Amino acid sequence: MDIISAENIDFYYDDFHALKGISMGIEENSVTALIGPSGCGKSTFLRLMNRMNDLIDNTRMTGNLIIDGQNIYDKKVDVDSLRTKVGMVFQKPNPFPKSIFENVAYGLRVAGEKDRYVLEEVVENSLKSAALWDEVKDQLKKSAFELSGGQQQRLCIARALAIKPKIILMDEPASALDPLSTSKIEDLIFTLRNDYTIVIVTHNMQQASRISDKTAFFYLGELIEYGETRQMFLKPRLEATQNYITGRFG
Amino acid sequence: MKHIENEIKILKNHHIEMWNLVQGQLIKSYEALRKSDKTLAREIIAKERVVNAQELLVDHYCESFIALFSPVALDFRFVISIFKITNNLERIADFAENIALFVLYDQTKPIDKVLYEKLRLEEMMRLTEGMFLSARTALINEDSHLCGEILKTDNQVDNLYGNAIESLAEYVAENPEEALEVLHLNSVIRRIERIGDRTGNIAEDIVFFVEAEELRHQKF
Amino acid sequence: MTGKQKKQALVFWTFRMMALIVVGLLAWILVFIFIKGAGVISWEFLTTAPTEGMTEGGIFPAIVGTLCLVVGSMVIAFPIGVMSGIYINEYAANNLFVKFIRIMTNNLASIPSIVFGLFGMALFVNTLGFGDSIIAGSFTLGLLVLPIVIRTTEESLKAIPNSFRNGSRALGATKLQTINKVVLPMAVPNILTGLIISIGRVSGETAPILFTVAAYFLPKLPSSIFDQVMALPYHLYVLSTSGTNIEAARPMAYGTALVLIIIVLIINILASTIRNVFNKKVK
Repeated sequence: MDIISAENIDFYYDDFHALKGISMGIEENSVTALIGPSGCGKSTFLRLMNRMNDLIDNTRMTGNLIIDGQNIYDKKVDVDSLRTKVGMVFQKPNPFPKSIFENVAYGLRVAGEKDRYVLEEVVENSLKSAALWDEVKDQLKKSAFELSGGQQQRLCIARALAIKPKIILMDEPASALDPLSTSKIEDLIFTLRNDYTIVIVTHNMQQASRISDKTAFFYLGELIEYGETRQMFLKPRLEATQNYITGRFG
Repeated sequence: MKHIENEIKILKNHHIEMWNLVQGQLIKSYEALRKSDKTLAREIIAKERVVNAQELLVDHYCESFIALFSPVALDFRFVISIFKITNNLERIADFAENIALFVLYDQTKPIDKVLYEKLRLEEMMRLTEGMFLSARTALINEDSHLCGEILKTDNQVDNLYGNAIESLAEYVAENPEEALEVLHLNSVIRRIERIGDRTGNIAEDIVFFVEAEELRHQKF
Repeated sequence: MTGKQKKQALVFWTFRMMALIVVGLLAWILVFIFIKGAGVISWEFLTTAPTEGMTEGGIFPAIVGTLCLVVGSMVIAFPIGVMSGIYINEYAANNLFVKFIRIMTNNLASIPSIVFGLFGMALFVNTLGFGDSIIAGSFTLGLLVLPIVIRTTEESLKAIPNSFRNGSRALGATKLQTINKVVLPMAVPNILTGLIISIGRVSGETAPILFTVAAYFLPKLPSSIFDQVMALPYHLYVLSTSGTNIEAARPMAYGTALVLIIIVLIINILASTIRNVFNKKVK
């Protein structure tokens, strides 16, 4: 069952036609990778799913985006509430200048949760899910800035997990990290797939091939090919896809 | 467990299943040959389908592993070796089936006891079966020294084969009415020698996996 | 040394001299005032009212007056200024209207303070009928420093990367929650700096209070916001230029100047400390 369904979506930054007629469906509890060269629209498409493009001036969208049975661009939709169902992890780790505990608890506090025991429990579970608990459990009051880059990114993942979203969007989550941290995050994504639907934008094709169930190839705003990852990397249907994947691009 | 370790484990399990299947076919085929057991022969022929299916399965996983994980170093040698060994195993199972086909269709009477001794069939079967089991052990233990032993044994098998051919030639000269029978026997003995060969190839693949050294096309 | 290095050394030496001149001038002023005025400073000076035609006694009422005006003007300038700055930077789209606001704010900052004084007199003292009073003076001084507060608030907010805002919004926080919980706490140190600068300005301005609140001499301390007050800068002006006995009052003038400088210095140090404490918390 498709939990995310894009129907003929076009998107414009001012006059620039960034997405052209995108239609695709994403299954629940799967990992989907969006690949393509810089500027192809994959990050734009990702940001549609939690309406982060709304924060940018002069943008326009046509088409439908249905998430969990609801058209999320409908006028009646509570956007802040949407963002608790569809979480996001950014390319550069962006923890708040607060303690580790307060970072993870932020989403809960903002939603109105005051019970200390609830907060503590959720923080612990989220840090465990993000494979960071063992490293920070004695230093929850420490500032998040004192963590390494890889740890900060896992903290951001824990922070996103704390509000129990159904879908997690990741915009090149490992591109700013060293190989060891990247590997940890990939292992993490592999275990998260059981409970969450994950959509990940990545420049790194080997990463897409390693962790995703399905891969979508974007180029110049169009969805060129979308299919099972094994199919895409063994025998893509289109030559354009093959050229990109084998690095014979441009 | 790391993601790639999980994939490697799955691939290993499927590959071990291949070993199980082929080992069964090989041992049974030698038994069938010893006892002219047609029932056993039928079992072997029926099972050949399963062996082929398992080969396709392992191939599928090897392809996925290479395409999706871009393995390097040990992981790369591992998957390439698994690929090649599986192919060799499938061939060995083929030969076992051929032996079973001989027992079922071509053998009109049990092999003459004297000839049996002269051909040293029992020894050839024992040696090749031993080589096969050693190869399996060598793979599991990543023991390249054991592989050297296997290759030496293959030389013995080759010598036995050479002698067997000469014995067969003498026999047919003395018993020309048995010519057809002798021709079939020649095929069977050839298959046993090929089983030894293929097992030797497996040993070379194992050495590549463990040591990243090429032993092919070298005298041992 | 090569030619390039010689040239560099010369330039740096020139820079060093300029910096030393600045420091030197500042030090000279401070030392000058200190020497001339220190002799007058005493507990009596700080806590009693002037007597004998300003030649004896103290400047306590002026100190009180200045403090009242500082508080009053901050009450007016700070909330309006900070909220405007937040609106301009966080809520308004970056269109012509906002650009217009910015231009007007900058212009407001360049208006001479005497003009503010006249405006304050016309509006607060006369039209609104407050008369010469603390409230009129506070409003006038508040207007004077309002552009500074707006501008520093805006700059502090601009300096905070959008990645924090995006991170907060992506977790389901509203814009207001994001401002309260993430952006403002980070901007506080710089906004406080704006506050310090404004306080310094307010403490020392004479022209705006000339026609709106300041009195030469008051027998009693103010009891309501509609009262007049004395103020340090005005008192200093008066002691030095009018009054009955300028020569005799001169030591008092220097003493007043010293007190004024010290008050501003203390406020600066206090605010710097608060700023450092905030920075540590934020880290």
